[in-house]
Amino acid sequence: MSETAIKIRNLVKSYGGLTAVDRLDFDVSIAECFGLLGPNGAGKTTTMKIIYGKAKPTLSKDTVIDIFGCHPGRDALVIKAFSGIVPQQDNLDTELNVKDNLLIYSKFYGMKTREARNRIAELLDFMELQDKAGVKIRELSGGMQRRLTIARALLNKPKLLILDEPTTGLDPQVRHLIWNKIRELKEMGVTVLLTTHYMEEAFQICDRIVIMDKGKKMLEGAPHKLLSANLEAYVMEIYGSARENVSDPLQVEGAGIRYEEYNDTMFVYSYNADKLSRLAEVLDISDYHIRQANLEDLFLKVTGRGLNELQ
Amino acid sequence: MNYNNDYQQPSLWRRISSVWYRHTRVYNSNFLSNAFPPFLEPLILLAGLGIGFGSYIQTMGALNYILFLASGIVVTSSMYTAAFECTYGTFIRLEFDKVYDGMLGAPLSPTNLIAGEILFAGTKGFLFALAVLIVTWLLGIITYPLSIMAALIGFICGIMFGTLSMWITSFVKNINHFNFYFTGLLSPMFFFSGSVFPLENLPLGMRWAAEAIPLTHVVRMARAFCVPDQLGWYLITDLLYCLIFIIITGWFAIRGLNKRMTD
Repeated sequence: MSETAIKIRNLVKSYGGLTAVDRLDFDVSIAECFGLLGPNGAGKTTTMKIIYGKAKPTLSKDTVIDIFGCHPGRDALVIKAFSGIVPQQDNLDTELNVKDNLLIYSKFYGMKTREARNRIAELLDFMELQDKAGVKIRELSGGMQRRLTIARALLNKPKLLILDEPTTGLDPQVRHLIWNKIRELKEMGVTVLLTTHYMEEAFQICDRIVIMDKGKKMLEGAPHKLLSANLEAYVMEIYGSARENVSDPLQVEGAGIRYEEYNDTMFVYSYNADKLSRLAEVLDISDYHIRQANLEDLFLKVTGRGLNELQ
Repeated sequence: MNYNNDYQQPSLWRRISSVWYRHTRVYNSNFLSNAFPPFLEPLILLAGLGIGFGSYIQTMGALNYILFLASGIVVTSSMYTAAFECTYGTFIRLEFDKVYDGMLGAPLSPTNLIAGEILFAGTKGFLFALAVLIVTWLLGIITYPLSIMAALIGFICGIMFGTLSMWITSFVKNINHFNFYFTGLLSPMFFFSGSVFPLENLPLGMRWAAEAIPLTHVVRMARAFCVPDQLGWYLITDLLYCLIFIIITGWFAIRGLNKRMTD
């Protein structure tokens, strides 16, 4: 038997005429960190919600949803009993303080008060909130609320952790803290499924990712492998008026390199950084920047640089 | 730390009571502001109607008017508190604070949430009826020991208006629309339930209308425990009405809110 935690085949979800998830397939192995990437409206959150039974999939032939042997239509409560869920929007109980939020939530898992108190102390330490036990939710910063929401999802020592945009809107310190914690959890054997639109986040913590767009899977694989397989190693960005020095775009193509233009920036791709800087000299431009191509370039290449109607 | 604990879902009763526990904790955290009104409300009604009307009307049928009034308003505040809890309260938790979304991340189903909430509405109905009884006991208006049973009728009243209000909440899109429910349905119900005047002498059509509304039946049962010579097997009909009403509105509430809480 393979060590599969989640198996999704031919998953479809439509709202009226809109297809939010379109014949999606993926597998997540046990103790793997798996990322769903895509712009807003790509169907990431909907996929997550289907997994823990908050959304119902559209009936479709050959749909397979297997979460540690459970199906959310049948055993949503079992899935939620062994999972921790961190939704996109923090929905802490603002009428209660930090400790009471966790204590009351522990009752939903049927935990005994003594067991819950120990676990809460442990989790406040783990998420570095030990000084905040008696603080009201409204007095917590956004980063603290996020950490508390994650702590709440860990009360039941879940074997599956579902994180919907865990670090959106947070400052770099908190973001790094959360990444570290996710890595630690993974080492303890927790399977992590997360959505994000930060490419760096995917690169930092995900073993494998799926890039989604308009409900469909565009690419799947390990982040660095996806990058090397689908994109040149270096990018030169040419800004503003300097672009006009590139009077004849063919000049660029003549040098054997690919380019694309978006708004006021031109992106020139090559496997060779020297080639790019020589090109800059030849073209006599000063306002440029050469860097390694990253997942963000790949993301934009796959999902397009323009905005969709949901962004 | 072992992160592979296979936690089972708690039993149905534990799930529902954990939701009830959440509401109780939040209610108690504002204890002072929550403990005052249930005692104040009957005092205002008794002073306003009792002293005002009472100086003109000494008896209402066979009863002293003050006793008639006091025994009539034991469960009316149960109605209002359950209705507020399960309209504005539920709506805010559902749409504004997203408390339900948070709770649905735990092993609870929407039906568990609704049941816990209705149970809490019943509890508040019990407490509010008890507060009215305490006030009337202290004032020496109601003297029967058996009147404590009227608090249980307050519980039934709370459950009834909990299920009805949750059903209303399941299809209300804008929180201001609850005004129609309170002014259009509950206010007339308050007057035409036999709480402040008897129904016996109303025109036949209005009497039937009064028998159709839920509050009438709990008012009748509660009064029977508070005044002399009114207890009897005929009250079984009222109890039956309440049970059927709870089952029907509860079913609609669960169906409507389940739809609303699932994408």
